[in-house]
Parts: sequence; C-alpha cells; structure tokens
Amino acid sequence: MSPIFLIQAINVLYGVTTLAVLVLGLAVIFGLLGVLNIAHGEFVMVGAYCAWAVTADGLPFLLAVPLALVVCGLLGLVVERVLIRPLYHRPFDTLVATWGLSLLLRKTAEAIFGLGFRSVRLPLAGTWHFLGVDYPSYRLVLIAVSILVLAALFLWYGSSRTGMRIRAMVGNADLAQAQGIAVKRLAAGTFIAGTILAGLGGVMVAPLVPVQPFMGLDYVLRAFFVLVVGGLGSVLGVLAGAGAIGGLDSVVSALIDGTYGYFTVLVVAILFLWLRPRGIFAHN
Amino acid sequence: MTGQRSAPAPAAQDPAPAPGLVFEAVEGGYGSATVVRGLSGMAAPGEVLCVLGRNGVGKSTLMKLLLGYIPCLAGRVLLDGRPLDRLDPPARRRRGITYCPQERPVFDDLSVRDNLTLMRHDRTLAAFAPYFARFPILERRLNQHAGTLSGGEKKILSIVRGLSEEERVVLLDEPSEGVQWENILHMAELIAERKAKGVAFIVVEQNLAFAERIADRYLVMDQGKSVLAGPRAEIGRDAILAHLHV
Amino acid sequence: MRTTSLGILAILLLPLVVGDYWIYQFGLYFLYAAAAVGIGACWGRAGFLPLGQAMFFGIAAYLSGLALIACDGSATALIFLPLAAAASGLLAYLIAALVFRGIGESGAYFSMITLALSLLTFQIANNWSTVTGGFNGLKGIPGLPGIESYTASYYVAAVALILVLGLCGWLYDAPIGILWRALAENERRVALFGFDTNRLKAIAFGVSGLVAGIGGVLYAPQQGLVSPQLTGFILSANLVIWVAVGGRGTLLGPVLGTLIVGALTTQLRDTIPFWEVLMAAFFIFVVLAMPDGLAGAIARAATRLTASSHLARKLMGGGAARPKIMAPARTLEAGGAQLEIRDVSAGIGEVAILDRLSFAIRQSGISCIIGPNGAGKTSTFNLLTGELAARRGQVVLDGVMVSGMAPHRIVRRGVGRKFQIPSVFPDLAIADNLGIALWSGRASWLDLLRPRLRRWTSPMLEELCERYPFLAEADRRAAELSHGERQILELAMALLTEPRVLLLDEPCAGLSPEETQGVIDVIRWAAPRLGSAIVVIEHDMSLVKALAATVYVLHNGTLLAEGSVAEIQADPAVRAVYVGSEK
Repeated sequence: MSPIFLIQAINVLYGVTTLAVLVLGLAVIFGLLGVLNIAHGEFVMVGAYCAWAVTADGLPFLLAVPLALVVCGLLGLVVERVLIRPLYHRPFDTLVATWGLSLLLRKTAEAIFGLGFRSVRLPLAGTWHFLGVDYPSYRLVLIAVSILVLAALFLWYGSSRTGMRIRAMVGNADLAQAQGIAVKRLAAGTFIAGTILAGLGGVMVAPLVPVQPFMGLDYVLRAFFVLVVGGLGSVLGVLAGAGAIGGLDSVVSALIDGTYGYFTVLVVAILFLWLRPRGIFAHN
Repeated sequence: MTGQRSAPAPAAQDPAPAPGLVFEAVEGGYGSATVVRGLSGMAAPGEVLCVLGRNGVGKSTLMKLLLGYIPCLAGRVLLDGRPLDRLDPPARRRRGITYCPQERPVFDDLSVRDNLTLMRHDRTLAAFAPYFARFPILERRLNQHAGTLSGGEKKILSIVRGLSEEERVVLLDEPSEGVQWENILHMAELIAERKAKGVAFIVVEQNLAFAERIADRYLVMDQGKSVLAGPRAEIGRDAILAHLHV
Repeated sequence: MRTTSLGILAILLLPLVVGDYWIYQFGLYFLYAAAAVGIGACWGRAGFLPLGQAMFFGIAAYLSGLALIACDGSATALIFLPLAAAASGLLAYLIAALVFRGIGESGAYFSMITLALSLLTFQIANNWSTVTGGFNGLKGIPGLPGIESYTASYYVAAVALILVLGLCGWLYDAPIGILWRALAENERRVALFGFDTNRLKAIAFGVSGLVAGIGGVLYAPQQGLVSPQLTGFILSANLVIWVAVGGRGTLLGPVLGTLIVGALTTQLRDTIPFWEVLMAAFFIFVVLAMPDGLAGAIARAATRLTASSHLARKLMGGGAARPKIMAPARTLEAGGAQLEIRDVSAGIGEVAILDRLSFAIRQSGISCIIGPNGAGKTSTFNLLTGELAARRGQVVLDGVMVSGMAPHRIVRRGVGRKFQIPSVFPDLAIADNLGIALWSGRASWLDLLRPRLRRWTSPMLEELCERYPFLAEADRRAAELSHGERQILELAMALLTEPRVLLLDEPCAGLSPEETQGVIDVIRWAAPRLGSAIVVIEHDMSLVKALAATVYVLHNGTLLAEGSVAEIQADPAVRAVYVGSEK
C-alpha cells in the first residue's frame, strides 16, 4: 500500500469517527427523545471553550473532561427544565426555542470571549511512525477514543436496561408510566446525557480546530445531516451516516478542495432531507 | 385541580377506611368535553368490579382518572383510605396499582422477553413459568418484537406482565378484546387465582360472557354516568343488555 | 383605516424630524423589514418556519446588482429589477412545492432544508468569484437613476415596504390568508375540505421569497455593495429573531421587530453591554411565553385602554365585513354518488386493519356503520377519504377508481367528512370556519385571492343559523364554543360543502341527550335536501334506529352483516360479537 494512500485512508477514518462522536449527542437527543436540539453545536462549542479555559490556565488538558462534564451537564439540566420540558410533543416549538438557545449561547460566548479565534495547544504533540507513514499522535488517539466511545455506547444501548427503558418511554410513554417509569426524570437524564456527549466531543476536537463562538453552527448541521442520512435510533445508523457524510467530505476535499467537500455535503444532505428523510435504511 | 369537591370529605378520624381502590363522585374528561360525570364505585380486596357500557361512554376515561393520567375535576380516588389526588401514574404504580391499558398495551419496539422483564429486578423469566403453561404462545415468541404480535396476543402479553407484578390492585381495560375464547377462559382463571389471594380488580369489559365469569360487582355506564350498579347476583343479563342497546 | 394612514403619514414625515444617520438606518431596515414580513406570512400564518430567508434577499440583491452594473445605472435596469424580485419569489415557490410534495409535513425538516439551502447559496456566492465577486462581494453598484440623497433612497425603501405590507395585508384578508391560518392549526382538516395544502404552503413561501426579493432588489442600489454574507446564516437568524420579537402572527409585528430590535442593535450593541445576549434571551422568552410578540402585547394593551377593539383587530388582523353575498352553487352535480368498496385490505405496518372488506353504499339516504372497537369503522372512513392506503382492492366513486388519490382530490369529487373529535379551527372566527366549508369546491385558486368571498353565505347556512343562532355570531372564535357547539359547528361545516357522500364519525359523541336529539334532527333534515348518501358511524342503537334504513356491521375489518335494524338485531352472528362468543 502506498504511504499517501494510507494517510488518506487514515484521514477518512479520522474524519468519520470524530464526526460520529460529535453526532452522538444529537443522536441521543433527537433520535431517542425526538427533540431537534439546534443548540447542539453550541454545546460542542462550550466543550471546546472548556478545553481552552483549562489549557490557557496552564492546567493539564485532561481536566477539561470533568469541567465540560459539569458545565454542559448543568446547562443541559437547566435547559431541559426551562425550555424542553414544556415543549415535548411540540417539535416545531422546540426547534424555535433551541434555535433561540443557540443564539443565546453563541452571543454569550461572543460577549465573554470575543469573536476571535482561540487555539488550544495540542496535548500530544508529534507523530507516530507506523506502516511506513508518520501520522499526528493526537489524531490517532482521537480515532481510538472515538471508536471506544462508539463501541461503549453501542454495547450500553443494546444491553442496558436504561437504554431499553428510554426506548420504552419514547415508544409508549403512557405504558411506561403505568409500569412505574418516571418519564420526566428519564427524559431529563437523556437530554443531559446528550449535552454532555456534545461537550465532550467539543473537548476532543478543540486542539484541532479554531475555537470561536460560531463553530457550533457547522457541527449541528453536519450532525443533523448525518442523522438524516443514517436514520434515527441506532448507533449503527450514526456510523453509516457519519461514514457517508464524513467520507464524502474527506474524499471530495482530498480530490478537489475543502470548499467542494462542504458543498457536496450540503447538496447530498438537502437531497436526503427532501427525498429520503428517514435515511439510507428506510424501506418505504 | 382538586379545588371543587362535590362530595363532602369524610371525617378525618374515620375509624376504618375502606380497603382497596375507592372512587367517589369522580368527574373529568379532555379539554372542553367532560366525559365522566360524578361516578362512584369501589373494588375491595378479593373482588372484581366490572365496568360495562357501550363504546364511548367514558369507561377508559374512568380508568385514566383512577390512574392519574388526567386530573379529576371533582371527586377523589382513595387507595386503602389514602387519597391519591396529587400522584402521577408512576407514583400510583409504586403505591401498588397495576394497569393494563386497552390501546397500545405493550411496547411494540421491545421483544416479548424485554416487555416482560423490563421492570423486574431479577431480569429473568423464572416467575413466568405458570403463565407460559397457560399461554405457551408467549414462550414461543419471546425473541420476537411485540409489535409483530396480533392484537389478541398483545393483550395476553399485557395481562401476563400486569399479573406478574403481583400488586394489590389491578386495572384491566378490555383485556379480552381480540382474544380467542379459550384464552379468555385462561384469563378468567388467572384472575380468579389472584382474587383468591386478596387482589382487587377493576375490569372494563365489552364481552359480557367474560364479565359474567369474573365479576363480583357491576357498574354499567352510559354517557359518563352510572346507570346500573350492584352485586352480580342482583343484576341479570337482560338488565345489562338493555343498557348496551343491542 | 385610520391607523394605516397615520402610519403612512409618520413614515413620510420622518425625514423632516430626524437626521441623515437615522434616515440611512431606517432606509436599510425598511428593506430588511420587507423580508421579515414574508417570514411572518410563513411562520405566523401558514405555520412553518423558514430558517434561511436571507438567501432570497441575497439572490435578488445579486441579480439586481448585476443588472444595474450591466446597464451602468441607466434606466433600462428598472425593467430588470421587478424581474429579479419575481425570480426570488418563483425560486421560493418551486423549492417549497418540491419539498412539500416530498415530505408533506411542515416541521423541522423543511426548516432545516431552508437553512441548508441558505448556507449553500452562501458557498456559491463566496466561491463563484467571476460572477459574484467572491468573498469581497459585488462592488461599485450604481444607485437607482435619480435617487441620490439618503432621503430619496429612504423614500424608495418606504414605498417598497408599504407595497409589501399592502400585498400581505390583502392576502391575509383574503380566503387564502384564512386557509393559511387554518392549515397551521390543522392541516389534515384543510386537506379534507378539498384544498391542496402543499400548494397553499408553497404559495406562502413563494410570497415570502417575493417580498424578501423586493427588499433585496433595492438593497443593491441603496448600499452599492452586495456581499455573500447577505445570503447566509447571520441575516437569516436575525430576521427570525426580529419577527418573533415583533410578533409573527400580525402584519405589522415583523416590521416593528425589525425596526426596534434591528435598528436599535446597531445603536446599542456598543453602548449596552451584553445587548445581543439580552436580545437572544428575550427571543427565547417570547417563543416560550409571548407567541404574539410585541405587536400582540401592544394590541392587548390597546384593547384594554380603548373600549373599542378596533386597533387591536387591525393589529391582530381579524374582523369580517357585514353584508352577505350568496355563494354560487357547487359545480358538482347534485344528489348522491355511487360509492363502492371492492375487496379492500389495508393496514398500518404489520397490523391488518381492513380485511377484504366489500360493500356498496346506498346512493342516497342515511345508513349507519356499527361494530365493536377495532372493527375498522373509522379506518373505513380513512380509506374512503384517501388517508388509509388500500393494499389490495379498490374504492370506486361514480365509476372512477379513487383509491390512491390524494385526500383533497377525493374530497373535491364530493366526499365530505366530520370527525369524531370535533375538528374545527379553534383560533378562527366562526364565520371563517364556515367560510372554509363554503369555499370548498366552490372557489377557484383565483377566487381565494378575493376578500369578498369572506362574506359568502348559502341558503343552507341561513337555515342552519336559524336552527343554531350561535353560528351567526361571526366574530366569535371557535375556541370559545362548548364541546357541543363545536360538534354542531363541524357538522354544519360538513353539510355546507354539500357533498354527494357525507361521512359522519360519531356525530353525537360527548353530547347531552337534548344536543343529541338536535343533531339527529339536523341530519334527517339535511339528508333529503342534499339528496346525498350519508353514512354515520354510531354505537347507540336507539340513534341508529332513529336515523338509518340500512345498517352495516363491521367486525375484524370485514363486513359481518348488512340489513335493516330489525334484521341486524335478530342476526345471531351480530349478537355473538356484541355479547361475546362462547366458541
């Protein structure tokens, strides 16, 4: 295998796995609760700023993980209580309300940190040499962590009873209540899990992208496109969608340039939204 | 929601509160429509109350009032003398009320096995052997999605799940709908077994033949009100049929 | 009328009061306001939210800029400017027509598509440098011929905004505006009055694209520069905020929001810390707690201040005129239709609902469908109105196979329906609820643009009003009616369409005995007048006896028995179903 091809292949793998991790938060909230959280990208942004805050103070990068967990978790708790809970089963109002939330978070970040880019120092500099190529170590770690997170979620969702109860609640809330499931608390927990996942995704990508108030917009759209293409309700769907969107982006970017990658993604997503809103695997 | 009570509250130091599930002059409905108007009744331990009436007279609405899905606009619901007014359905479940709804009685997206074990601490099927003996079809379909069952099979799954919870009060909304007669008889026997152990039942039914087999008391409804109520021995089939307009 | 002239006067006199800075600001924000009014039409009226409206503003601005540059500021450009605005409108209409046909519903997916399209437009504008000037934009666009001062430019924008408001105000007043509000409340019900709801929504989106285009077309000469940002996310987001804060449901709300929030922001962003954060928080507050925004709040305050609710009604956009006009007769031939279900099976997912059902409905007079829960009664109605697809077999109406047709097409062939749960339009006035029924099958697309149709009446309506005087309380909202009155209102609406087959799903559900008797009387009164076939789903055998000569008994999705009430009651199979079989 030629080294250039191998590097491109790892690039694609990197693109797909990190995208999948960034989608997970939205997949949990939209796929399980049916709530389209447009502010998903802003939770990613908050996570990224957590990483910046930690490293800017000279603290170890890994401290960003508990910080993002707490910040995004608390934010998720408040948002669920104030914004989401009154609007369950009113998907359209949720859309508008979370759209407002995304603006609020973005403007707040703008007010605190300014519009400019911040960069987070790579916690793991240098490259690793293997199979005859050199590849940035942090990216390789990121790929590994992403695969771990995805696998963990896949196993947890398939076998744990919490996952099953969420499925039960979403499928038939009245019956879930009749069997003693406190649906309000479960839904809140699910929402918070989603925002935390988004925040952790933000921490992970922070060293690789410019951290700025508007970064979330791109993530929510990509995440949404991934879900539309892959279909809702399964980790495998997320992977398939991320493979399609991330793969397409990486391949087209590599062949032509980045703008066209993004361009292709937009066109494909619009076609899917329009013609196959329930994803690749939908039958009818 | 509980502001206006039409029935006077009983004295607080009532010596012996009625055991089982009691509802007093409950009223409620959806939006602008009051569907249940001033209905009273009770299921004592070891007793089955059968609620009968045509479609749309408010039987399922009564169930939803008893379970807290919709608020009582008037009247109250008591379990062993303690009012349930402010409790939501999960809280009422924890107080010991089991419910098998008429519509969407099972989790369609879950397998039959998961439907049965979803809320069981042991997560095993050990407790279900006696039920599988009566309904072998369930055991054969354990790994199937419940959504692929027929309407009657779903009802059987639902009642097995409900009875296996082994609670003191069981509310069944049309358990026999779409179930073949042989299995209806099994249901009746299961209910009789639980009844003998002191469980109180409220059963909404359309199938009079089934109701006659299980009922200790009848409550016949029309347009949200009680039109006929009393022990089974005192109420004949013709009297009930007159209210079912068949 | 008075408030309108006052408003126009204020706009005209403003340049005499304030200086060039504000004249420039208002001139610019009038153009944004035009686009905001379009969002109001979609979101506040038709009930779907466009998230990428800047693309239509921006596309028109680019087209206009290119035309002006090509004509080098000569008057020839004036021919192209209206075309540029129209192109934006047409593009919007085509997008919505295609998308709504694809996905039907108007929820999040449509919104996300508009957002993605707007980002796509930004990408194109940003990268297609040879035409758009790329990132730096289209520079050196000449002004409109003869428009040189800020004041002149201001007046151009003011006239454009007044034009846009006039257009939208007229549409809101016309039947199409009522239908937009109706479909935002209950799209399925509108379709079952025979209206193509996807087309109605596409028209709303087309109008919003057109008015955004009008703003964009004038932006280019006013600012002299068109950059990709004009098509993208930030302007789209701002427009939505302005509309929400101003009041999406009203004509003037979006303008109010744009001028107050938008113009103030340029001023206050730097002086008040966290101004934009406050605005975003306020936006959320408005979405949660004040869906009719500032304009709604002002209207309510005005109602409280002045005893007359004239201003309020002006702002809220309501009020029907007095003298009535007789509606034309329906274009269908009168009398009953021949409706036949042939060997139909249908289901949802793996659940079979109808199982080789066959029966023919009598050509005129009343018949009843009875059957236990889950027998497939309401599903049979859904099949007849095209909402439940047949997996096998056919539904034939007057010799034409209608299974597979869209519901609104079937309804237009003369099928009317009343739902079990009264499905009126709660936020609409009684008169408009009845109006929708009268327009059904009588009004052409062009007619829907004529406000005078809101004064339509019909002989049947007059007689119904005599029976039920509350139907004549034109301005009362249907939400204020009791459950029983709503049942009557929906029954009246179903009758007014003068269908050839009328399907009534438990018309007496939830009614008192007196109300029930009234409904029975109306059905019996209407049957010979319409000469149509009336099919009633009913459980109460005493009502069935009072209504029907023929009874169809359904069980497990198939026809169990058919005959007179006496025959049905004597049928052992029917009795077995109701009492419970022992075998």
